[in-house]
Amino acid sequence: MDILSLLRGLRFIDSFFPSGGYAFSSGLEAAVQAGAVRNSEDLSKYVADILRNGQGRCEAVAVAKAWDAQARGSGREAMGADQDLDAMKLCRETRMASQQMGRQVIRIAADQIEGHPILLDFRTAVEADQTPGHLAVSVGLTLGACGWTRTYTVAAYLYQTATGFVAAALKLLPMGQREGQRLLQEWTTIISEVSHQADAQSVMSSWVPVQDIFSMRHSRLESRLFRS
Amino acid sequence: MTVNPSPFPLPFEGRGLRRGEVSSVGRVGELELAYHRRGRHTVLLRSRSRSPWHLFPPITLDETGCAYTLLLNPSGGLVGGDRLSLRATLGKDAHVLFSTPSANRVYRSASETAEQSVDLAVGPGAILEWLPEPTIPFAGSRFRQTIHVSLQPGATALLWDAIASGRVARGERWVFTDLENEIRITTAAGEYLLDRYHVHPEKKTGAGLACDWDYVASLYLVSDTVDAEIRKRLEEKIAVILDECAGSVLAGVSKPALPGLAVKLVARSAPDLNGVLESLWGAIRGQLWGFPVPALRRY
Repeated sequence: MDILSLLRGLRFIDSFFPSGGYAFSSGLEAAVQAGAVRNSEDLSKYVADILRNGQGRCEAVAVAKAWDAQARGSGREAMGADQDLDAMKLCRETRMASQQMGRQVIRIAADQIEGHPILLDFRTAVEADQTPGHLAVSVGLTLGACGWTRTYTVAAYLYQTATGFVAAALKLLPMGQREGQRLLQEWTTIISEVSHQADAQSVMSSWVPVQDIFSMRHSRLESRLFRS
Repeated sequence: MTVNPSPFPLPFEGRGLRRGEVSSVGRVGELELAYHRRGRHTVLLRSRSRSPWHLFPPITLDETGCAYTLLLNPSGGLVGGDRLSLRATLGKDAHVLFSTPSANRVYRSASETAEQSVDLAVGPGAILEWLPEPTIPFAGSRFRQTIHVSLQPGATALLWDAIASGRVARGERWVFTDLENEIRITTAAGEYLLDRYHVHPEKKTGAGLACDWDYVASLYLVSDTVDAEIRKRLEEKIAVILDECAGSVLAGVSKPALPGLAVKLVARSAPDLNGVLESLWGAIRGQLWGFPVPALRRY
């Protein structure tokens, strides 16, 4: 990957990118309010489980499928992964969050990255409500178009997920930036391992029932800082 | 949206087996059932069963006229290499309640996986209630299950699926080898929900945070006939029931990407699990049809 590819892809996973991700906690807020996550040690286990058994086996595989779809120029494959993700996201708030962020990524990517008609086709399908436009698929298509390898694209997606949890945790838990960086360092090992595994998988699955339940419970919290 | 074929292999594929053949290990059991509505009652129109399935004729439990069908495997459980399949069709306006007399036990297996595939086709205006006892994966067991439900216009599916961590009473928790489960419910409009997991507690990834609990379950209600306002009221009622069980049960309810509701829960014990199911089932039956929950005969 050359420097231009690196920088062009980084833009989309940088927290500076206006995807609105700062508004979502992926159920962490409900887990904190329930006392299931009280400190950085709890958070470490909570997120490591998501990276290994949740997003690492579901969204990560969707990212890889979208990357393949981009490489082959197959909008149909990208939409297939997008629809499976939609069907697997049983929690409304989680589904809406992923769609909102994914739509923002594909809009900007389709506008600004030239020479990849699949980005335009996917954006058109999203805007016509023919496909949900989930974040994992938009990122897979976009970073693929930027020239990133499939494994790097999956790793970048999972890294973005991990930083999102740290950003939310800094507001929800008695935890400082330094501890947040320690957690990210710890999770990079898992992300590296999982990215290689996701690369070889073709079936999306997910086993994080406890975290799924907290995502579902979020909408009923009496006071909320986050939208999911 | 279009429906993609399941990426999980069907039970008979890729193992050199044809339908009806018997493998060197395990048994190939098939059960086929076709129901239709006759007057106020749903009756069995056709059936075919092959060991180890044993067919109990459906009975009428209450004034709903639904055909209560107990799915019985008299061998007591599944061993590695067993491949059981069930196909059922519910004709127009039929109403069938499926359950099992006891937990679905999956025994230890050194290599072969025990498999169960369920295909349920629910006709126009028909009601399916699928409420089996939990699956208990013994230490060292391997199990793969698929449950696929297709709904015609006006059909309703209420589907419950639960697993235990193992033989909890003897302290055997989360020590099975491998468990795969796939639930797919597809509406007449082609929308679908998909719940697919693959747990292998012995690997480093383990069973994750679910290890703190002994039962994991899902309940799905899918129907294109239930008004959005009624679904909303039902969601609210379910959320209150789930809150009342807090402590012994952790659970949430939400709206999947089709007309329906999804409930996920984890529970500490079988009585906690059964208690919450009974309450949820009662709320759903009452809200949708004005029916009470029947007393299920398990024999």
